[in-house]
Amino acid sequence: MIYFQLFLTFFKIGLFSFGGGYAILAMINQEVVLKNAWITHSQFMDIVAISQMTPGPIAINAATFIGYQKGGFVGSVLSTLGVISPSLIIMTFITLTYIKLKNQPWFKNIFQKLRLLSLGLIAAAFIMVAGDAFRDLFSVLVFTASFIASWKFKLNPFYLLIGAAIVGIAFG
Amino acid sequence: MIPLIKREVCQKNNWLTEDEFWDGLSAAQSCPGPIAINLSIYIGYHLAKGKGMAIAVLATILPSFIIILIIAMLFQQFAEITLIQKAFHSLRPAVVALIAVPLIQMSRQSGLALSNFWFPLSVAILVGFFRISPVYLILITIAFAVYQGLKKQKL
Repeated sequence: MIYFQLFLTFFKIGLFSFGGGYAILAMINQEVVLKNAWITHSQFMDIVAISQMTPGPIAINAATFIGYQKGGFVGSVLSTLGVISPSLIIMTFITLTYIKLKNQPWFKNIFQKLRLLSLGLIAAAFIMVAGDAFRDLFSVLVFTASFIASWKFKLNPFYLLIGAAIVGIAFG
Repeated sequence: MIPLIKREVCQKNNWLTEDEFWDGLSAAQSCPGPIAINLSIYIGYHLAKGKGMAIAVLATILPSFIIILIIAMLFQQFAEITLIQKAFHSLRPAVVALIAVPLIQMSRQSGLALSNFWFPLSVAILVGFFRISPVYLILITIAFAVYQGLKKQKL
């Protein structure tokens, strides 16, 4: 039963992951943390951190990790297959019809509107995780330093997170 | 990531022309799911239909699948260690910063204006505070966009 639930949940996440990257976080959080309570908010953020330090898209990384925690090896395989299945189905269709679709005003309009929606979804992900992360002064300092390093100095997320981990071990 | 794929596919292996690649990329961006996966489906299908698609997708997810699987297997034991707990205590606010920065960058590229600011703001409030599933908002947005696009077409 858990296998079926894992596949279905990650299929849904894959199906509604528009805009790539961070826009998907709100969807994963909604399904995995709030609805199914498979992991906590803190664990969710640990997975995001791990995902940013390893290769591969975050949706796939989250599927493999959570799938393993909930259903072992089979769970991780089914969750990962679940999250890519919508891509396989829809992308095949789009590949065959894209030449016709791409000049239709309604088709273009979908992505203009979804871009704005993605922006809202990233903001929602921020709201969902922010409360949990700012528990003490140390966390606020790490946030501020990371924000400046990423925003002003365009520091690569990998190095930024390695730096944050070292700071945590040394001073946390 | 995209330049890396382009170099492998267009220059090194000559599988696609530049035009075919850009068409594939915009198709990949308009399909749900990770762009790298969608692009590998396009390229695989282009070269060897169903079989090519299956192999390309499998090969794209395999490295990250193996790495995450190993981490997940070890995570339970390592999570108990104080040093690891300290590291993650500091990683969480850093992750929040990594979400905040693209939020600001994207707001410049997404055509955000005073007239449409209400839309992403309402999405953020509905999903972030009221825990409304993004699914409903995405479906409503697509339905509205198609309706609006078709109406324009008729005029």
